[in-house]
Amino acid sequence: MALSVLVADDSKLSRRSVKKSLPPELDYDISEATNGQEAIDFLAENTFDLVLLDLTMPEVDGVDVLEYLSKREECFPNVIVISADFQPEIQRIVLSLGAQRFIRKPLDKEELAMTMFELGYL
Amino acid sequence: MSVVIPLDEEQRDALQELLNIAMGQAANSLAQLIETKIDISIPKITSVTPAQLYSLLFGSQDTFHTRQSFLGDIQGEVISVLSRSGLSEIAKLMDYSDPLSKEDVEEIILELSNILAGACLAGLSSQLELTTNLNMPTLFTPNKENFDELKWQHSLVMEVQFTVAVSSFSMRVVFCLDDDSLTRMKDTLDELLD
Repeated sequence: MALSVLVADDSKLSRRSVKKSLPPELDYDISEATNGQEAIDFLAENTFDLVLLDLTMPEVDGVDVLEYLSKREECFPNVIVISADFQPEIQRIVLSLGAQRFIRKPLDKEELAMTMFELGYL
Repeated sequence: MSVVIPLDEEQRDALQELLNIAMGQAANSLAQLIETKIDISIPKITSVTPAQLYSLLFGSQDTFHTRQSFLGDIQGEVISVLSRSGLSEIAKLMDYSDPLSKEDVEEIILELSNILAGACLAGLSSQLELTTNLNMPTLFTPNKENFDELKWQHSLVMEVQFTVAVSSFSMRVVFCLDDDSLTRMKDTLDELLD
C-alpha cells in the first residue's frame, strides 16, 4: 500500500527536490501544497501518513500549520520539517509544536532516508 | 545600454528558493554570534531601474548603508541597509559597551554586513556551483545624482530581510547583478532545473 505523503512548500524546485529524494523502496501517494493555507486545507480533509513541511512560506507559514495541527482534536500526523531556517530556536519551536524531526535545506536524500528509517517507514 | 533579461517563472522560483537557503545559513551565522533568533523574510526578486533601486534602498533616512562588490563567475554588488533603530541592542549582544563610539558603530555595521551579505552570497554561489569573491564592505552615503551613474541600469535585484526578534533592528541585503552575470546565472539555473 502506498504511503500517503503531503509535501508542503511554496517552491516548486523544493517540492521537486523532496519528491526526488524520497527513498525508492516505498510507493508513494503524494499530494502537494504550495503554501501553508493549502497544507491546512489538505490536512483538514485528508489523513496523511507523513507530512514534509517547509517553514518559510508566504502568509500562512509552516509554524502556523504546526499550530493548527496541535490545536485540533485529530491525531497529530508524523511531520518532518524541512527548512532553510535551522537556527536552534526555530528547531526548538517546531519540535515543541509536535514535529517529529527537523532537516535542514538543501535537502540531503540520505538524511531524509535515515530520518524515515528512524520513524519506522523503512 | 543594458537590457533586462527577465527570469521565467521557474527560474525565479528556483532562485528564490536558493536565496532562501542562503539566507538561512546567513541567519544562523548571525544567530550564533549574538545568541538570538533572527527572523528571515521570503526573498524578493525584482528588476528595477536606478531610480527604483534608489527608492527601494534609501526610502528611509533612519538607516546605515554599506556596499560590497563581488567578482568571479558572476559579478555585482551587495548593498546592505541597516536600521539605526535597535543597533545599540545588537551591539550589547555583540559584547560592545555603552556608550558606543562612532568607531564602534562603524565596526558593528561593517561586521553585520560582512556576516549576512557574505553568508548569503556564499550560500547562493555554492548552490549554483559558481565561484565568487566578496570584497570587504565600505560605508557609504547614498546620493541620487551619482547613483544614476552606477552601472546598475535595469538589473536584477535580489532582496532579503533579516529582523532580530528581541529588538527593533532589521537589515536588508540587496544583490545587484550586471547583465552578463544575470545571463550566466540564468544558464546555471536552467541546468539545475533540467
